[in-house]
Amino acid sequence: MATLEVKDLHVSVKEEKSQTREILKGVNLSMKTGEIHAIMGPNGTGKSTLAQTIMGNSAYHVTQGDILLNGESLLEMPVDERARKGLFLGMQYPAEIKGVTNAEFLRAAINARRPEDDQISVMAFLKELDKNLDLLDMSKEMTERYLNEDFSGGEKKRNEILQLLMIKPSFALLDEIDSGLDIDALQVVAKGVNSMRGDDFGSLIITHYQRLLNYIVPDVVHVMMDGRIVKSGDAELAKKLENEGYAGLRDELGLKVNLVDDNR
Amino acid sequence: MKSAVQDYEAIKTAVRTAANAHGEPQWFVDRRLAAIDAMQELALPEMQRYDFHRWPLMGNVELSFRDSDKHLADGLPKATNQIRFVQVGQTTVAVNLPADLADQGVILTDIFSAFRNHADLAKKYFMTQVTQYNENKLTAYQQAFLNAGIFLYVPKGVEIKQPIEAYLIQDSTVKQAMVSHVLIIAEENSQFSFIQHLTTRGDEANAAHCMVEVVSGTNSHVHFSSVDELGANTYSFLHRRANLANDARFDWAIGIANDQNTLGDITSELIGEGSHSESKVVAITTGKQSNGLNNRVVNRGKHTTANISQRGVLLEKSELVFNGIGNIIHGASGANAEQENRVLMMSHEAHGDANPILLIDEDDVIAGHAASAGQVDQNQLYYLMSRGIDKELAQRLVIRGFLGPVLEEIPLKEVRREMIGVIERKLKDGQHFE
Ligand SMILES: Nc1ncnc2c1ncn2[C@@H]1O[C@H](COP(=O)(O)OP(=O)(O)OP(=O)(O)O)[C@@H](O)[C@H]1O
Ligand SMILES: [Mg+2]
Repeated sequence: MATLEVKDLHVSVKEEKSQTREILKGVNLSMKTGEIHAIMGPNGTGKSTLAQTIMGNSAYHVTQGDILLNGESLLEMPVDERARKGLFLGMQYPAEIKGVTNAEFLRAAINARRPEDDQISVMAFLKELDKNLDLLDMSKEMTERYLNEDFSGGEKKRNEILQLLMIKPSFALLDEIDSGLDIDALQVVAKGVNSMRGDDFGSLIITHYQRLLNYIVPDVVHVMMDGRIVKSGDAELAKKLENEGYAGLRDELGLKVNLVDDNR
Repeated sequence: MKSAVQDYEAIKTAVRTAANAHGEPQWFVDRRLAAIDAMQELALPEMQRYDFHRWPLMGNVELSFRDSDKHLADGLPKATNQIRFVQVGQTTVAVNLPADLADQGVILTDIFSAFRNHADLAKKYFMTQVTQYNENKLTAYQQAFLNAGIFLYVPKGVEIKQPIEAYLIQDSTVKQAMVSHVLIIAEENSQFSFIQHLTTRGDEANAAHCMVEVVSGTNSHVHFSSVDELGANTYSFLHRRANLANDARFDWAIGIANDQNTLGDITSELIGEGSHSESKVVAITTGKQSNGLNNRVVNRGKHTTANISQRGVLLEKSELVFNGIGNIIHGASGANAEQENRVLMMSHEAHGDANPILLIDEDDVIAGHAASAGQVDQNQLYYLMSRGIDKELAQRLVIRGFLGPVLEEIPLKEVRREMIGVIERKLKDGQHFE
């Protein structure tokens, strides 16, 4: 069993004119493999910031608190090392990279975790690739294309899940993996994530839509507002939010937070 | 103290003596001396937005000939029935030309043999048509102090399927400039490709002057590739130029991965109507080296097409300037000239520039350009690294992607593969991390 803990995490970003702004204001979160957690919350509250900071994006500066993987602090570790230790981030906006094929990239990623003298064989790689392409209803042609280059929004998301299945991390942070997906694609993506479920896999799923959580049923749901987790509960919490919106919860908790809707 | 005039007379006498001892024909000895005369008056060539005036390019004003150790050519890829020419320093180590091509009149020989044995052709073409010896100080130096080179003649209508490979190995185990010349004459309707490899053995600080002149005859099809890997103690001047006759097709594919400062000057002169040239360059710089590369196409004939596409990657504190010069001469109606120059900086201390320079003196033309000089996209590196790929490999992947559009269009697979290998080698050398 692996654990991922976020303790009193404060994160700032540098804005223009070298001003800094605090985005995460003390986040606490603890999860284990075998569990699926979901994070919901209004736009701009820091959900992506949390995921990016856990992964190690250098745009985000930790000013207080810690992130621990199996008890070991990640703060001084570069992003590639965190990945090799078992973290994966399915990004809201995956980068496009010309000249590097998807298949070549996947192999490099798999091999990066394996010792120099035990790189994956071409046969084993192709077998695994075929299996996962099948599961995600993706064509082989997608893997011969350049990484995310000219992929549609939905194709990019599917491709993130393909990477997840190939790389098999212990923890996957999935940031709006459902946005921009049609119903069929949503089911495919959910199938992919569910196929990973088990004792050796945990996931933190960021989403705006309860709909995804009908397909990937979470063990814990967290609500984030203004840089903090303000409430955690079971899958029912997501349904309640879907019905009542964030304003209801905010008022119930007596928070002074501006929601985008308030300005309308 | 000796006066400059005495020095210069002494140089002429020494060159005459050395050239005679080398058994050179009188006409060429005379040309050497004329070039030394011209050198006194001529200035260095101008390169826009780039200064190389302090480089030690012409320190060596002594003509001497010596045999180099043939074993310096060890380790070349195996010759499998290839047409190849190998020269170490001034010593020709191998010339493989299939008998059927020799029977058809193809000539592949070292340049001095050509001066003696094919004087009519050599006299007619050596630095008289494509490049004039008196264009500038460096061209005059070339003719005055020439000490190595190749001559290739492909007669009318001869098509050569296999590429012709030339290995030119600078011998820097001794102190001596490399002044090398590749003269290629492609007669009407001939067709072939030529691949040149430039390398250095030894650590002496020497200049390398490597000139290429190509006469592309009517309706000939010639593809010229060069993979340049000169050493860390070699300042180089690479002057490469082709003249295209009617309907000729001539392409450059050049990979520049030298380890010291390089001044490159690549030109396609589209003189004949309907001629077409594609000029592709990839370059990579590391350490503190500086490369200035002019890539020039001149549309003179009507309905000529000339495209430039060049990409460069800079690491560490290196400098790289690409000038893409598109010159359309008055009267070249229907000409077409597109160019794309891009440099990618992998470090904040690198300095790259991509300058499109269009000189258009005709209305009825299509011309366009794109240029960029930018820092590597951190987002791309982050994405790759977030999958566990280390920084070095992530950089190599992004760079390969960046150079891909130029590399992919190189028609010869072996050249493409070699260039990728050379680039990766240099990248590994240049990736020093904090
Ligand atoms: N790299 C950055 N530089 C400057 N500001 C940033 C940066 N990343 C995020 N922010 C700001 O931090 C706040 C939180 O952004 P974040 O992307 O974490 O929100 P989110 O909860 O994921 O929102 P959404 O639901 O819209 O995706 C926003 O105000 C955003 O503008
Ligand atoms: Mg977000």
